[in-house]
Parts: sequence; C-alpha cells; structure tokens
Amino acid sequence: MPNFWGKVYLVYLKDLKDEIRSFHHLVGTLVFGVMLVFISSYALQLVESDTDRVFPAVLWVSVYFAATLALQRAFSKEHEKGSLDALLLASGDRGILFLAKFLCSLTVLLILEVVVIPLFWVFLGVSAPDLNMGFFFASLFLGSWGLAAIGTMLNGMTVQLPGARLLFPVLMFPLLIPLLMGAILCSQGAVSGEVQSTMGWVYVLLAFDFVFTITPLLLFDYVLEG
Amino acid sequence: MRNGKYILFWMLTVLVPINIYIVFYYAPVERTMGIVQKVFYFHVAAAWIGLLAFCVVFGASIAYLRRRQDRMNHLALASAEIGTVFISGTLLTGPLWAYPIWNTWWTWDPRLTTTLVLWFMYVAYLALQSGGATEARKRLSAVYGIIAFINVPLVFFSARWWRSIHPIVVSSDGIGLDGKMRLALFSSVAVFSLLYIYLVPLRMKSIALREQVRELKAELFR
Repeated sequence: MPNFWGKVYLVYLKDLKDEIRSFHHLVGTLVFGVMLVFISSYALQLVESDTDRVFPAVLWVSVYFAATLALQRAFSKEHEKGSLDALLLASGDRGILFLAKFLCSLTVLLILEVVVIPLFWVFLGVSAPDLNMGFFFASLFLGSWGLAAIGTMLNGMTVQLPGARLLFPVLMFPLLIPLLMGAILCSQGAVSGEVQSTMGWVYVLLAFDFVFTITPLLLFDYVLEG
Repeated sequence: MRNGKYILFWMLTVLVPINIYIVFYYAPVERTMGIVQKVFYFHVAAAWIGLLAFCVVFGASIAYLRRRQDRMNHLALASAEIGTVFISGTLLTGPLWAYPIWNTWWTWDPRLTTTLVLWFMYVAYLALQSGGATEARKRLSAVYGIIAFINVPLVFFSARWWRSIHPIVVSSDGIGLDGKMRLALFSSVAVFSLLYIYLVPLRMKSIALREQVRELKAELFR
C-alpha cells in the first residue's frame, strides 16, 4: 500500500492521463484561452494603450476567465461516470483526492499559461526590456496555485448541485480578489524589473495560497460527504 | 419568546423615529461637510449590520456542519438575506456622501473594496442557497459561508496595503467625533442592531414555512 503522498501521486497521475486522453476538453480550454488573447489584444490595439503596463492585468483577467473552463474538470468527470465513490473507497481519504485534483488543475493551468503567454507577448507587442524572468514565473506559479486550490474545491461543490455549473464563476471570483491583486502586482513588478518593491506582494500570494490550501483540506470531508 | 417579537416591534416603532430625530435635529450639522454628513449615521450602522450578519452566517455555518440542525441553516440564510439588504444600503449611501466630499462616486479604497467583495460573496451565497433546500445544498452553502468569511480579512488587508483614503472615525485610539454626533452614531447602531435582531427570527420562520410548503407539495404531487 502506498503512503499518503504515494496515493496523491497515483490519483494525480490517473487524472493527468485522463486529461490527456480526453483531449477535446484540454484543447477546448486552450482554444478558449487563445481566443481571449486574441480578443483582448485586438481590443487594446484599437485604443493604442501602453501595452507593457496593461499586460499583467489583461493576462490575469484572461487566465481567470480561461480557468472557469479549465477548473471545471476536476470532479466533473467522476461525477458524470458515477465513479467518485469507487475513487473514495480506493484512496480512503478525501484529503488525498483534494490534493491530487488540485495538482492536476494546477498542471492544466500551467499548460494553459505556457500556451497563452507567448501569444500575448506577440499579439500585444509586449517589449518589457527589464523583464525578470524568474520572478515572472514565480508570480505565475503562485497565482495559479491559489486559483487551482479554490477552483478545485468549488468544482467539488458545484458538481453536486443540479444547475450549479453556471454559479462556478460567481462563487469563485469574489474569493479570488486578494489573489488577483497579488498576482497582477507581482507580474507587474517582474515585467518592469522592480522586484524589490513588489516582494511584499509575494508574501500576500504565499499567505493566500497557504490559507486556501489548508482550509479546503480541512473542509473537504464535508464537501464530499455521502 | 413569543412576546419578544411584539416587544421588539413596539420598541422599534418608538425608537426608529427617535433615532431619526437624534440624527437630524439633536446631532449638529457638520461644519465643512454640511447636511450630507447625516448619511454617515445610516451608512456606518448599515455596514455594521452587514459585518455582524456575515459573522452570524459564519457561526451558523459551522454549527450546521457540526450538528446538522435545519435551524442553523435557516439562521445562516436569514442572516445572509438581511445582511445583503444592509450591505446594499451601505454601498448606496456611501457614494451619496463621497460624490460631494471626495468628488467621485467610487474609489478602490480598502473599505469600499472589501464591502463590495462582501456584497458579491453574499449574493453568491444566496445564489448557492436558492433552488430547493436539499441536504447537499445546505451542507455546501455552509462550506461556502465559512470560506467566504475567511476571505474577508484577506481582502481587507491586501487592499489596505494598496492604498486608503477612507476616513477612519472609529479606531483603536477612540472615536473622533463630537459628543452629540457620537450619541447619534450609537443610537443608529443600536436601532439598526435591534432591527436586525427583530428581522432574523421573522425571516427564519418564513424560510422554515417555505420549506414545509415545498415538502407538502412534493408529497401531494408524488
């Protein structure tokens, strides 16, 4: 029998495989992301805005919207096939399921960002001469972490209620406001190369990620009850 | 307890006009802001109820997850509904004051941002609760009530870090108000609190009745 983290890893692998095999979902999400890039870049070039300055904000708003699709997969597939009980029995702990699904959502979000960001760079015409690459990736990672954690939990909730899929973004966005601020300001710091002055927001992101990884873990027994 | 409702009702019938008198005639007109400052007494009292109601949602949600009494779910729902009304009042009265004083209807000050996010979470909570009081819905609403409450300080402190121009009247250093104005503020907060205490059980009762009607209908048309 694998231990706790071993089980998390196994469920994570299963979900990732499922994600890659049910290719059309992933592709649908990616195409939606690309579409968001196209629409926002097109809209912004019409009004000739300062792209380096608006880039972080536009990037994160797009990621949030694309995430409403990307994060609605975690528990939906099990719910549709009615295999959630089996998975619960096999893993024996709801925390394992949450962590595994969360890691899978995070992976999907990161894949999405890897596709979307270079396109943004090209379409928006971001120049960012002082870009701090490492800090930029850190801000992406920490921002996606919180997004994936909240999204996974809310997806576990909304799949259980008939007709609640539409509520997913309504429930998710207000919870993500501190994360949005932190992520945008960190990315902004990375793009403009002012890492020192934005370090404080990294702690905001870390605090948010911590709180919203622990809280769902504690509450998940109630989410997946019965 | 049956009598409590009537006592509260008559108390409010007397106290609400008295409060309005205190706010408009007893408390002096503010020297620089003028008459528009009067909105402050309602604005702060409504914001207080909005926060209090949210704390009640949080407490009742925890109690529901622990004990599974429908009463706790009704309390959380009733409190959220009334809280939404009061928070909407805060959000509407704020700009009335802000436009003449700050020269803008809205600004992204931490208090304003937090109040708006609070309003959105209230609305999301109500949307989650609406549509058939099933066991799953009650349980998941309780979970949402808890996470949403945890989110409030995170929103406030991150927004405060960003910037703040909102006047801080009540702080740890005391209350920066003239004596008569202070009385008007206290009286408003007290009357609004009484109103909240009066409304919550009424609303709980009607929620319970609504559920009963739904169950009876389901039985009837089975």
